[in-house]
Parts: sequence; structure tokens; C-alpha cells
Amino acid sequence: MSKQNKQPLLQRPAVVGVLASLLFIVIGLVLGFVLLVLLNPGESVNGMRAMLTTGFSSMDKLGKVLYQSAPLMMCGLSVGFAFKTGLFNIGASGQYTMGAFFSLLCAIQFQLPWFVCLLAGAVGGAIWGIFPGLFKAYFNVNEVITAIMFNWIGMYLVNLLLANMPMMLASGWGASNSDRTAALSAANPGAILPKGPLAGLFGNSSWINISIIITILFAILVWVILQKTTFGYELKACGLSRDAAQYAGINSKRNIVLSMVISGALSGIGGGIYYLAGTGQYVLEKSILSMGFNGIPVALLASSNPIGTIFSALFISYIQVGGAAMQPAFSSETIDIVIAVIIYLAAFALLMRGVIAKLVSGRKEKGGAAK
Amino acid sequence: MMIAANIISMTILFAVPLLLVAMGGMFSEHSGVINIALEGMMIIGALFACFTLQAFDKNGFGPAHPQLAMFIAILVAGGTGMIFSLLLGFAAINLKADQTIGGTALNQFAPAFAVVMTWAIQGQGLTTIFIPNWVRITRETFGLAPVDGPSFWNNLVFKYFYLTTPVAIVLFIVAYIVMYKTRFGLRLRACGEHPQAADSVGINVYKMRYAGVLISGFLGGVGGLAYTVAVGSGFNSDVGGYGFLALAVMIFGNWKPLPILAASLFFALFKVIAALNSTLTFLPKFEGVKEISNFYQMLPYIVTMIVLIFTSKNSQAPKAEGIPYDKGSR
Amino acid sequence: MYKRYTLERGVQRLADNYVIEMLHITKEFPGIKANDDITLQLRKGEIHALLGENGAGKSTLMSVLFGLYQPEKGTIRKNGKEVKINNPNDANALGIGMVHQHFKLVECFTVLDNIILGVEDTKHGFLQKEAARKKVMALSEKYGLKVDPDALVSDISVGMQQRVEILKMLYRDNEILIFDEPTAVLTPQEIDELMEIMRGFKAEGKSILFITHKLNEIMAVSDRCTVLRKGKYIGTVDIKDTTKEELSKMMVGRNVQFAVEKKPCEPGKPILEVENLVVPSKVHKNNAVRGVSFNVRAGEIVCIAGIDGNGQSELIYGITGLEKPTGGTIKIEGKDITNATIRERSKAGMSHIPEDRHKHGLVLDYTLADNMVLQRYWQPEFQNHGFIKQDAVMDYAERLIAQYDVRSGQGPATIARSMSGGNQQKAIIAREVDKEPELLVAVQPTRGLDVGAIEYIHKQIVAERDKGRAVLLVSLELDEVMNLSDRILVIYEGELVGEFDPRKTTVEELGLYMAGARKQGEAKA
Repeated sequence: MSKQNKQPLLQRPAVVGVLASLLFIVIGLVLGFVLLVLLNPGESVNGMRAMLTTGFSSMDKLGKVLYQSAPLMMCGLSVGFAFKTGLFNIGASGQYTMGAFFSLLCAIQFQLPWFVCLLAGAVGGAIWGIFPGLFKAYFNVNEVITAIMFNWIGMYLVNLLLANMPMMLASGWGASNSDRTAALSAANPGAILPKGPLAGLFGNSSWINISIIITILFAILVWVILQKTTFGYELKACGLSRDAAQYAGINSKRNIVLSMVISGALSGIGGGIYYLAGTGQYVLEKSILSMGFNGIPVALLASSNPIGTIFSALFISYIQVGGAAMQPAFSSETIDIVIAVIIYLAAFALLMRGVIAKLVSGRKEKGGAAK
Repeated sequence: MMIAANIISMTILFAVPLLLVAMGGMFSEHSGVINIALEGMMIIGALFACFTLQAFDKNGFGPAHPQLAMFIAILVAGGTGMIFSLLLGFAAINLKADQTIGGTALNQFAPAFAVVMTWAIQGQGLTTIFIPNWVRITRETFGLAPVDGPSFWNNLVFKYFYLTTPVAIVLFIVAYIVMYKTRFGLRLRACGEHPQAADSVGINVYKMRYAGVLISGFLGGVGGLAYTVAVGSGFNSDVGGYGFLALAVMIFGNWKPLPILAASLFFALFKVIAALNSTLTFLPKFEGVKEISNFYQMLPYIVTMIVLIFTSKNSQAPKAEGIPYDKGSR
Repeated sequence: MYKRYTLERGVQRLADNYVIEMLHITKEFPGIKANDDITLQLRKGEIHALLGENGAGKSTLMSVLFGLYQPEKGTIRKNGKEVKINNPNDANALGIGMVHQHFKLVECFTVLDNIILGVEDTKHGFLQKEAARKKVMALSEKYGLKVDPDALVSDISVGMQQRVEILKMLYRDNEILIFDEPTAVLTPQEIDELMEIMRGFKAEGKSILFITHKLNEIMAVSDRCTVLRKGKYIGTVDIKDTTKEELSKMMVGRNVQFAVEKKPCEPGKPILEVENLVVPSKVHKNNAVRGVSFNVRAGEIVCIAGIDGNGQSELIYGITGLEKPTGGTIKIEGKDITNATIRERSKAGMSHIPEDRHKHGLVLDYTLADNMVLQRYWQPEFQNHGFIKQDAVMDYAERLIAQYDVRSGQGPATIARSMSGGNQQKAIIAREVDKEPELLVAVQPTRGLDVGAIEYIHKQIVAERDKGRAVLLVSLELDEVMNLSDRILVIYEGELVGEFDPRKTTVEELGLYMAGARKQGEAKA
């Protein structure tokens, strides 16, 4: 709706949002640097340089940035989509896990091609997303509580199922370990995401595949749903004002459930896309996968905008690759501290945006609204 | 018989952190602040307490005065948990931030911080802080002669006995009394139910909410240490999701101390069954099923969800929890 | 000295034993003077009523006295000495207590805990409730305030909750008691009891400020009455020297009337038929609407008049579907829509200009264009296989903006939140009227707007009537009621108590019905 957009550039909500996000990032990085200085002053500058430059240091590293950003982007889209409907999907992790399981099930057990596996991942995530939605809509249970419970239920369930499917495990395909799923290269090369047109660009990088293209397409799809369809119109109305949505005759219960289903599906695809790359094997662990949680800062940095999510996911992935290069002087978890600071700041983002909006608009304030 | 003693003592061992942390969550939520950062508070408390224990181990104070050293470590756990909880208080109370997102940030922060600190202090790649042996309370602690062979009572009491257990019992009783028998408790609960009403009779809602958050930080921190000694294999910058499990315990216990006590024993029992399932002959045999422990691990969560379905209509959750209090809106 | 003397000009300062004096209080909010030089003097041992319509400034004045607001101008004195009241604690220290209109009770606490909250006795930090219990029981006995100290507040009746609030004041030994619209939530029997209790306080020498707009109650219980209108002080009268009619006149006044030109009404067939409608209340356990029946015919404007809180909001919620009625039927053009969804009602031909334009009427963070299609985005005109036709929406919004003169910064792209209240309301009216409904429900359509916008909106509503549509109007402004409507139904405590022809009645007569002083035998549709 840009036909008559005469608003000054710096006052547009999108611009203010981007500025706020950049500010969060700067504060996060500064605090990260302070931490490095406190821990090991001699290495701090090198550490910071590693964090900030490694991602571009080689095509291989850049390939890794893209590879990691794809699932992050899906989780970010998932969290952001739920935010748009006024829901906090802290269950992206569980949905991601279920998505990974469904994808791997189709890939290894049923020997299906990659696109079917990806679809199955969406189904798995959607199934896990429907619970918080149903509990919220029909029993008025806070979606955060349900999602946290289902993160754990999902993890244990997947562990239980995988442990009892010998064919799924690496040990079923000639390898010795039974604590992880089979390597796709051994079990079903046809389920590995192809490199597509990126093969030429990145050549020998083992990280690269079409996942980044797929996720960008999903980002655009989500943007279209939210911006161009009546469904998106209803979802956003519910998120912005449940009372006004009710007044307009929008069925908010149905929308809550649908929103969580779609959000879950997006996370599920994230899980699928990560493991179908063929480089990682799902390890039966006792702690929840952090990928889903990292979708939260991705969405917050992007103000839940699907297109913005592309960039924020690339950024988070970029500093994560940088973080790995900080070892052994510093633990790569330094990056998680930076991310935590960003989430913390985003918790009072509205306040921060208000401050920024005031700073940039200043005296123009009064001229804005006409009588 | 011996297995019963083991189950009971292990259940108590694992119920202790759940009880402490769930009580912490209860204080925070009764003051009106949702605290999903319990996991993070546990980690921070455990981290600094383990550092303390390690330092005591090195300088000889620990082996010389084991339980005094442990007591100091407990205070350190509680104190650092409290300091950490100020971050939640500041965001939730002063800045009126989204409490869930703020809590998520703290949960993200704590394990990363713990890894970074452990790495920095212990050296590269060494991410486990081992707990010294002397922290366990044994027969010798009381000057009792060792028993030969297995004994029901000996196993029940001394197999897994740490100072955190009696401390937790005392804290539980104190917490119960504070919540229901003191002026502070009455005012705290009023702030979580109807802050406007509390304000209209001259209660400082902001102060009470800080108090609730700080208490949750203290109990969370101590709970983190209790978890770490219970696990026994050292501190690995995580507390195995016990912070979230404690949240479930609190909800399951309907935000009330005695039901929370029962719920933490119930949840701990499932954890113990999950750990010992292969040796427990009375359990149903799932022939041919591997890793059945996962099933017992997820049961408490499933039960919590089912309970929530039936109780959500008349939930005892504090009515004003999660809503930032603004003096202007009356 | 001289200066001070002029300041107090016009203020009675005799040997009167004033316990509280609020002198020349002025309190402004952005865009409105809620209290404009108001003086209120409370004698010791009197019941002093504070009378005024909605928005007259009664609540603001009491909030100033209770320390919730700080006035821009004016002083407060207690026993002749100037005092500063910065917060409720200061008020309490001065012996001022208040029964708030919306009770400030913790539902899951016992009655006793609620009473002692904030002034608890303790011994070594432990609560000591025995002395408190004795004191509460003694007070309860003495004033006939029957309560069960161990019952949970959530389990007791609204009447008992109010007694708990009163006991809270007595327990704190307050001498000056403010009752903010205390009878709004009570049954007639409970009101009688309350009056008796208030007389008891008076006999004890306590001073009472009684905020209300019910004339019968004022005549029954108070000694003097101060009347406010539109933020201004109108006067203070002795009840024994006045009549209900005079008070009513002081309350509603004789304002400049905005004459609305309109043709005589030619009502057609009934469009809306409401039969024995019952709607529960969200605030208290009684029903807010208690068996209301009426109809609205094509080509007439029927107005529900009444003082705020007498069930008109809930009546509209029931009719528009925002709340589920628990009894009765609603029909549009003969079609039963009692249990229909909001969307179905909209399709059946109902448009709704809601009471709260920020809460219901607009998605404030949507653009004006998106808000213009809030009720129609799903129609084929604006969507194709689930895709919104952006251009159609834009064109439609631009047409409405031009046709209804909605002014905004960036046209259809303006975020609704940034628009002025008048233009927001115009946008809602444009949207609802352009739907060409059979029935237009408009609730306080001119609230908070300036004269120009009011006139415009009145014209639109009359135009709708002239097109043969049925209009159901709810208004708290008697001028609006008198000018706009073809038929007036007065609602009082959830029941229709009278039906009037605006040409054959007066504001004063309506005021008596609205305040519950009179009631027609049976209000027939």
C-alpha cells in the first residue's frame, strides 16, 4: 500500500525497526567485547576479529554461514509468524525436532526423495504446533507453557522412537554408533538436498546446497500470506487487536490454531532442511536442540517481518560461524551471550523503538497527524 | 527392600532441586512476575557454587570443614541467583518489558555464560566442574561407625545425603510460613492478584515484585546447586531442563506449597524410575522396547498437560501475573 | 491578607464546622478541563451528595481528594488547615477512606485478610489476626455490616463485597468516607440497607461524600448536595429546601441545543425485534440486562437513554453478538439471530458503530485503508481466491475518504492510530454506513468529539434514517437524545422504564426516569 506513502523515511515504522535492531546488535557486540576483554585482554581483539570477519574469510566459511542460516531462517519465520498473531512460539525447538524426525523417517526408513522428506518435516512440525494452539484456543492455557512442555515431550518421544527403529540408526547402515541417525550418504543419497545452481559458485564446499534458496522462497511465501491474503489480514488483526478482530467477525480461536500449525510447519521444515543437508546426523541427546530457541532472536531482530528474517538469520549465522573460529582462546558460546543480550533488549523493544522514533523525528512530531 | 530404600532416597534427592526451584517460581508468580528464567537462575547459582566448592577443595578448607564449606557454597548459589534475577526484575518491573521474552533471554544467557566462564577459568575445552567428594554427608560426619554390607536404613539415609536436602526442608518450611503467616506473604500475594488493590492500601507494588523475583532467584540458585550435587557427575553448564520441569511442578502444584511438595516428589519419582527402569522388576515389561527410560522421562510433562486441561477453568494462577504494573492505570 | 480574601470570595466560610474543604480545584487532562474551579465543602457529620451526569467531573474531583490526581490549581483543607494529598496513603493518614466504584478486593483472599491488608498487626513478623477479627466483628455488629470474615471474597455477593469495602474504611478509623456510586451494583434491598448504614455513620459524627446520579437516593439520605455539570460547579443546595425536579434541572442544565434538521419520521415495518433479552454482566453477578423488549422500525431512530452503567453497553453487546445473551430472542427482519455469529449478523444487515472505537472499532495499527474494509475484506469485491485485491481496497478507501471527508496525514496509507479521534470516528461511520445496512446500531457515536464532528455525524445518522434504515442509538447525552431520536426508551438498572416521544417530553422528565425516580407501568415497544 505504497501509493500515497509520503511519510518521511526516518519515521516509517520499518525504518525505526531496522534502526532499533542495529542498535541491539551494536550493544550486544560491545558487551560481548567487554566480556572478552575481561576474560583474556591479550586475545580479545583477535577474538573479536574472528567473530566479525570469519564468515567472509573464504567461500567455504561463507558456505557454512548459508548452510546454518537456512534452518535459523525457518525457525525465525516460525516464531515471527506466531508473533504476528500475538502468540509467543517458544516451542519452535520441539517442532523443529519433530520436523527433523519426520524428514529423516521418510529419508531413511522409507527411502523417499528429498522434497517428500521436506514436506514430511512440515507435517511433523505442524502436528507439534497444533497442541499449543489447541490448548490456547480451547482451554485458555498459555501457549508458552504448553510449548515448553511439548519441547521436552517431543525430544523424549523422538529419542524413544529412534532407539527402537534399528534401520534409522547409523549402526543399521554399517557404522558402529547407535547414538545417532544414519548418515544420508550411506542410507539414501537421494534424500540429500541437491546443490543446484550453487554448486558452481561454491564448488567444493561441503556445506552448500539449495536450502538457502528454499528458505528464501519460504520467507517470500510467508510475506505474501501475511501481506496479500485475507487469511494474513485476519491473522494480523487477531494479533494486533483481538477485540477489534472479534468485532469484525473474525474467528480468533480458529486463527490461533491455524497460526500455530503454520508456525510449527515452518519450524518443521527448518528441522528437515538441516538434517537433509547430509552433513549432520541427529544425535539422541538429553537436552533440547538450541536451533528453535535461536529462532527467537532472529524473529525479534527482524520485528517479525519475513523479509527482514532473511537478513537477521544470515547475521546470527554469520557471527555463529565467527564464534566457532574464536576457539580455543574463547568458547564459541560467547556468541550466545551476544544473542542473549539482543533478546533481552528486544524484550523492551517497544520502549526502545519509542526512544528511537523520538530521537529521529524530534521536532517534526506535531506536523504528523492532521486534524 | 534395598531397592525401595534406593528409590526413596534417590527420589528425595531429585525432588529437592525441583521443590526449591518450584517454590522460587511460586514466589515470583505470586508477586505478579512470570518467571520462565528459573533454568537460567539455577545454572548461574550452580556455576558460582561449584567454583566456590572447587576453591575450597584446593585451599584445604573444604576437606577440613566439609559441611561448613558446603553451607557457604549454598549461600553463594542463592546470592548469585539473586543477583542474576535482578535482570529479570529490572526488565519486568522497571521497564515493563515482555516477561516471557526477558526470561527467554536469561535462559539463553546463563548456559552460555557458564561455558564461557568455565572455559576461561579452567582452561580451554575443560567444561566440567567436578564436585569434590567431601560434600556428601556420610556416617563419619556424625561420628557413626560404618555398617557392613547393605542396610535398609543406611541406604535410605546415607546413600545420597547432601546438605542441600536438610537446607531444602528448612527453606520449604520457612517459605510456607512466610507465604501464609506473615505480613510480607499477604502483601506479596495481593500484588500478584490485584496490584491496584494493594496500591490503594499503601503497598509498594514495585518493591514487592522485586522481593518476589529476588526470592525466586535465591531459591533457583540453591536449586541449581542441589541439582548438580544430585547428578554427581559435575557441573556441565546445564541443569537438564530442571528449571522448566520445576515450572511444570509449580503449575501442577497449583501455585501452593504443599501440592508443590507432592508434585516435586511425584516428578522426581518418574525421573528415578526412568533412570533405574532396567533394574526395577515391578515395572511393566515392554518386551523388545529399547530406551524405555524416555517414556518415563516424558510422562510428567504429559501428565502436567492433562492436568492443565482439567484445571485451566478454575486455575489458581495469580490473576495479575505477567501484566506489568503501571501506577497510572487504576 | 487582602489577596487571600479575594481568593476565597464566594466561598462560604462561616462558623461552619467544615471537616474537608476543596477550594477552587482545577484539573486538566489533555484537551479537556475535567474540573474547572470547583469548590466543595463537607461539614462534619453530614451526608453530602455529589451529583452530576457522566463526564461532569465527579470522579476526577474525588480522585483528587483521594490523592490519585494532583490538581493544577486549588487547595484542600482539613479542619481549616491546608493539606497536601499526594497518594492514597496521605489520604488515609488524614482519615479519608473511599469505597471505589470498582471494588479493590483480592478475590482469593478471605474477607478478614482484605480488611487488614496494608495495616496488618504483626508480632515478630507473624500476622496477628485475632485482635483484628475482634475489631472487625465489633464494627460489623455496631453498624449492621454483616460479613463472614473467613469467607473468600470470590464466594460472597456483591453486596457483601461492598460491606467489606466499608469495613476496610472503618477498620482504619477513617472519619471521612467517600462512596463512589455505591448503589450501581446493588439490589433495591441492599440499597435500603446501605442507606441505613450511612445514616448510622452520620449519627456517629462521621462525614460522608456520596457520589451518585440517582435522585431518589439523594433525597432519601443526604443533607446537602453539590451539583457539577461539564466540569463546572453549578451550586450547593440543602436537600430540605429542594425538589427532585430542581436537582434534575441543575444536573442536566439548559445547554445550547444543536438543532438537527430532520423531516418527520415515517416508520415502516419492524427491522429489529428484541424480546425479553437477558444479558449477564461481566462486573457483577446480577444480570446487566433484565428482560428487555422493544423494536426498531425502518426509517426511525430509536434512542436508548440512560445513565452510564445501567445495562446499555451489555444490551448492545447482546444485540451485536459481542456477548452471548442468556435469555430472550433477537430478530432482524423476522430472522432469528439470537445465537448467530457476528459475521452472520453483519451479513443479515447489521452495522455497528461501537462504543469504544479504540478497542473494537479499529485495528489501530492497521492503515486507514485496511480499516475501511474491516467488515468487508472477505467479500468478492475485495478478494479473489483469498488474495486481497489491493487496488480495489485502495480505490474503495479513497472513495470513502472523499465521500465522508475523513482527513488524515497520508490518505489511505495512514496508520489509524495517528489520526484524530473525530476522523477515526468518521472512518468508522463511513465504513458502517457504506455497508448499506438494514439496521444501524450506533453507540455514543459523538463521544469526545468537537462540535463540527458532532454535527456531521448527526447529519449522517439522520440521512440513514431518511433512506429508510432502522437506527438504534445509545447515547448518554440528553441533548443528543432529544435532538436526534424519533422515539426514546429509558433504561434504568437493566430494564426499560419508559418510552417517550421527544416532542412531548422534556429533559427534566427524562432525567427523573433515568435517575430511577419514576417508572412507567410497562414499557411497550
